[in-house]
Amino acid sequence: MRPVDCRACGVRVLVEKRSLPHTSVQWPTGAAAACAEFAPRVAAGRATALIPHCAALRASIEQAVRDGSLEVPADV
Amino acid sequence: MNHRVIEAAPPPERFARGWHCLGLADTYKDGKPHAVEAFGTKLVVFQGEGGGLSVLNGYCPHMGGDLTQGTVKGDAIACPFHDWRWGGDGKCAGIPYAKRVPRGARTLAWPTLERNQQLYVWNDPEGNPPPEGVTIPEIAGAGSPEWSNWTWNTMRVDGSHCREIVDNVVDMAHFFYIHYALPTYFKNVFEGHVATQYYEGVSRDDAYLGFVPGTENQKIAQRSEAAYHGPSYMIDYLWNEAEGTTVETVLINCHYPIGRNAFMLQWGVIVKKFPGMDDATADAMAAQVAEGVGLGFMQDVEIWKSKAPIDNPLLCDQDGPVYQLRRWYEQFYVDAAEVAPEMTDRFEFEIDTARAVQVWEQEVAANVEAGISYSMIPKSMRAG
Ligand code: FES
Ligand SMILES: [Fe+2]
Repeated sequence: MRPVDCRACGVRVLVEKRSLPHTSVQWPTGAAAACAEFAPRVAAGRATALIPHCAALRASIEQAVRDGSLEVPADV
Repeated sequence: MNHRVIEAAPPPERFARGWHCLGLADTYKDGKPHAVEAFGTKLVVFQGEGGGLSVLNGYCPHMGGDLTQGTVKGDAIACPFHDWRWGGDGKCAGIPYAKRVPRGARTLAWPTLERNQQLYVWNDPEGNPPPEGVTIPEIAGAGSPEWSNWTWNTMRVDGSHCREIVDNVVDMAHFFYIHYALPTYFKNVFEGHVATQYYEGVSRDDAYLGFVPGTENQKIAQRSEAAYHGPSYMIDYLWNEAEGTTVETVLINCHYPIGRNAFMLQWGVIVKKFPGMDDATADAMAAQVAEGVGLGFMQDVEIWKSKAPIDNPLLCDQDGPVYQLRRWYEQFYVDAAEVAPEMTDRFEFEIDTARAVQVWEQEVAANVEAGISYSMIPKSMRAG
């Protein structure tokens, strides 16, 4: 897994992509509670596990793929 | 030659910490004590005259009388052996023939929650109350006039630990091979005490699922957001769309452990009424969905009956995150103080389904070509 920083809030997560559609994201302890996108839903009492992803983080991961800092194995 | 050896530790000694559903609350509201075999013991569930449901250890601390054979008297359950009375809080509420109740006379009372028209009990091997924020969420459709009534079914599963059913959360491929579904999108998120599965799929031309009333060969697009809230209670919001009509369903998939190697599987369904639909039709529609779900569970049980427990599954890239799910599940089997951050830290996993979908579509086409058609629902049970 490779570190990727969220360009919105700066949180550093570990990401693995075995192919373009595949994504595995490990958040560090406490980071999800600090995510700006999640905050309003957390405040509304909703479990963050019910939020599929943070859009800003997803965009950051896609950017990391584009600029080559996150390598994706060639599809074979 | 190296070969893979299946490893399996014996099932855990303890029962998971968390809320467990005991079924629809109304089933316990007939003024009688009810026996529930759970958590390696027997519980007594009763409604006192105050209206609330209580859950106590089924055996009387006096001389071991079976409280489930007793009588509800006032707000207490009276033991059939010597008529000692036990309140819902576990305190001895009286001994008619005694001058006084022994100091501190108390039996084990299980914290309860009545919500969504269902009854939940809190199990904690350490005996602590549920922490702040660990609860069962409200389901808006439950009890709403715009939705059907709950169906409720149970199935006792012997010879398997309940972790087998929890594995389903990440098991994309089994939906094709066991449940005749065709997943096209599959993602999991684990965080805190919640584990979610996001699922999209389509019906198969070689199978009839029966989730939407209608003809056998119509195309159904399925979307589901299913989450375990703790170790045993899953709320699954489902949207099945066919020919421009969407059926909205809430499916409860839950269980409680009976013993170390047996559990009670339970499922309940509500469907949202179509405009102008009457109660009976809505309930029949829910029953039809429940029937299909039940057949699906029977397919799982068929597998569990003969499969080996396995702690070290050998996975391919198109499998879901089994190890991370089990790491999440482990939190319910250790002391609260031992819950490690990695068990609850947020983890996301989105499967690349492209290859699987391609292969499955080919297999379905070949089946159609060969005239093979699977039906989850026997013809006799189908509505309309
Ligand atoms: S055993 Fe229950 S009252 Fe004696
Ligand atoms: Fe299954």
